[in-house]
Amino acid sequence: MISFRHVCKSFGAKEVLKDVSFDIADGETFFIIGASGVGKSVLIKHLIGLLRLDSGDILLDGDEVSRFDETAMYAVRKKCAMVFQHSTLFDSMTCLENVALPLRKHRGYAPREARVHARERLAQVNMEEFGDKFPAELGDGMKKRVAIARALTLEPRYVLFDEPTTSLDLVSARRVDALIRELSERLGVTCVVVSHDLTSIFSTATRIVMLYQGKVRLLDTPAAFQRTDDAIIQQFIHGRAHGPMET
Amino acid sequence: MTKPSTVATTPRFAPLSAAQKSLFELASTVGQMGILAGQIVRRLARADFDGLELKRNMYKMGVKSLPIVVVTALFTGAIMVVQATPIVRRIGAHQLLGWGAGFGTLREIGPLLTALMISGRVGANNAAELGTMTVTEQIDALRALAIDPIAFLVVPRFVAIVATLFVSTLYADALALFGAAYSGQFLLGVEPMTFYNGLTSGLLGIGDVMNGLMKSLVFGIAIGLSSCHFGLGVSGGAPGVGRAVNATVVASAAGIFVVDYFVTFLLG
Amino acid sequence: MATNVGASANAAAEESGLAASLGRQAIGLARGAREIYGVFVRTLYYVFSRRIDRVALVRQMYEIGNRSLFLLTIVMGFIGTILVLQAGLQTQRVLPDLSLLGASYLELLVRDLAASIAALMLATRVGAGIAAEIGSMVVTEQVDALRMCAADPVDYLVKPRFLASIVMTTALTIWSGGVAIVTGMITAEAVFSVNPRTFWNLSLVHASDVAVGLTKCVAYGAAIPIVSAASGLSTFGGSEGVGSATTRAVVNSSLAVIMLNLLISSAALMVFR
Repeated sequence: MISFRHVCKSFGAKEVLKDVSFDIADGETFFIIGASGVGKSVLIKHLIGLLRLDSGDILLDGDEVSRFDETAMYAVRKKCAMVFQHSTLFDSMTCLENVALPLRKHRGYAPREARVHARERLAQVNMEEFGDKFPAELGDGMKKRVAIARALTLEPRYVLFDEPTTSLDLVSARRVDALIRELSERLGVTCVVVSHDLTSIFSTATRIVMLYQGKVRLLDTPAAFQRTDDAIIQQFIHGRAHGPMET
Repeated sequence: MTKPSTVATTPRFAPLSAAQKSLFELASTVGQMGILAGQIVRRLARADFDGLELKRNMYKMGVKSLPIVVVTALFTGAIMVVQATPIVRRIGAHQLLGWGAGFGTLREIGPLLTALMISGRVGANNAAELGTMTVTEQIDALRALAIDPIAFLVVPRFVAIVATLFVSTLYADALALFGAAYSGQFLLGVEPMTFYNGLTSGLLGIGDVMNGLMKSLVFGIAIGLSSCHFGLGVSGGAPGVGRAVNATVVASAAGIFVVDYFVTFLLG
Repeated sequence: MATNVGASANAAAEESGLAASLGRQAIGLARGAREIYGVFVRTLYYVFSRRIDRVALVRQMYEIGNRSLFLLTIVMGFIGTILVLQAGLQTQRVLPDLSLLGASYLELLVRDLAASIAALMLATRVGAGIAAEIGSMVVTEQVDALRMCAADPVDYLVKPRFLASIVMTTALTIWSGGVAIVTGMITAEAVFSVNPRTFWNLSLVHASDVAVGLTKCVAYGAAIPIVSAASGLSTFGGSEGVGSATTRAVVNSSLAVIMLNLLISSAALMVFR
């Protein structure tokens, strides 16, 4: 279970998160939505300690991870993996080596052993035949799948996705959605997804929180979002250019 | 319409405050590099670094620097002979050409020029790579995988740079003396054998070679720290990477000369 | 956003191995030489055939000259002490008398070292700057835009830097020489007890040495912007390309300085026999 309690974060004079609080239950596919720049990515980066809060707490499985130092964070990162927006594979290694890296480092496998396990992981995301290619040679959708495979190597209980479908073509985007659903349904992984892709949101989410101007606007099921009277939320989920929303 | 006045309105002490600002930035940079050095040393002491990355970087940096070091060394040898010529002629001691060219090369010019060229080639490249990785969030990705970026990326590259420079200085010294010997023959008619005798005549010793190698170690540390520090500290996207490369190259060069002074002074 | 360090992708596709890698570098070298020659010829043509933009020229002189002052002063200061220390230590092994220390130091400085070391520093600082600036312009298509306006990038970008560099390299060399003399003199006094009056001995500095030194200033000043601009103009591959262009500029400019040094010194040796 993940809890955000009265989280505040500013970058210089710009207040990005102003008192954000909500909980995420185990096994959920939880979406964080909102306009660009509202602070969604910033929020989840705090979970694994890539950013530090100005005030407030974040709890993961009962631990106050917002207080952890870098060394203590390692344990958290092994059970809470992250898939970055631009896939962020390591350019100097092949896909196979990318996926094998956490296995080498944390499971203590020898390089050859690690590659065998990595191949299995790549097969799970249907990328097995691209194992020996470098990230530069792959398309965005393929890189995303490899990044997901890499995130799953240590069998995390939580996986964070930062805008997983944003730069993808429609087919790849739906494939990624299907992967996320599979993770949640078959493996019971808690998925926290930052997104503004409406198709993804309404086909995959169990619950959604919308951030607007640094605060929580609404926290509820997708159905509730469709039904709400809130004009700003309606403008966002119908993708209208005109309305009360300030961006 | 009158043109607006273009007389500079800077305060009278502008040059002074600019220098002050430079000094402050300098102190800050040196301080941060010291902190990085501490982090590297702690991990080295624990043998906490990635062996595969180390091997990969040693190979890559060695290959990259080979042609440049060879060319520089040969030219350096020739230049040393050209510069030593008037002095040797004046004293009339052609047998001492080996000594004249030799001491300069081994103690100073060999390590110095090799370091400068490697700073430009390997140092700048390393800064660009680390900078690009920083900008594309790969450093964050490492941390998200619970892998320590310093142990995985920085320490192997730092060690590889120092090792590459050390080895390069060794064979640059040899090549430079080789180049000097044949330039000596071409320009002054001094037989290579005479040159060789001049080298080993007892005026130069293994101490001079070690002196130069000691320097190369310290230069390597300067280049390694510089490129890793500026590479990791990149901000502002792709132009930031360019700025980091620029800063690395300048800081390495300045650092090399400053360190050279202290080592020369200490080792005599 | 660009995400690759392109070299690793290429490595997978092409031949790997030491020989292939060195061969690749040799071919790159030849191609680079041709580009440099092209830029040089065109720059000379524009210098002699078109008007000079005063504003751009002054701006470049500030960029190259004033901005390098701090670095050069520090470096040359340290060089002065190092050289005198080394020369003194070595000479003491052969001759007991250090009275000619100042004289030979001054000769070497004027004839070679002031220009060469200043140039090596400028090759890194200025070379990297020029390549980065022009490289960014190539990558953001500003250079193409220039061509569309019927302006030759060499005329507009390279010429002011070329002229500014020649002037400023000479000025900076003279300044650097001065700094090195002062620190050298102080070192000679402090470490070897050589009287500054004895040190300041111009008897070995001939007109030919001054000529050689000045020739080097001009040659280095001309070479650095040409080589760096050539690297900048041949940038490709997006933002990483700028980084690699900068590296190439620094390395090639430094090499050019070293090669010109040998060329001019050897020529001087034979001419002023």
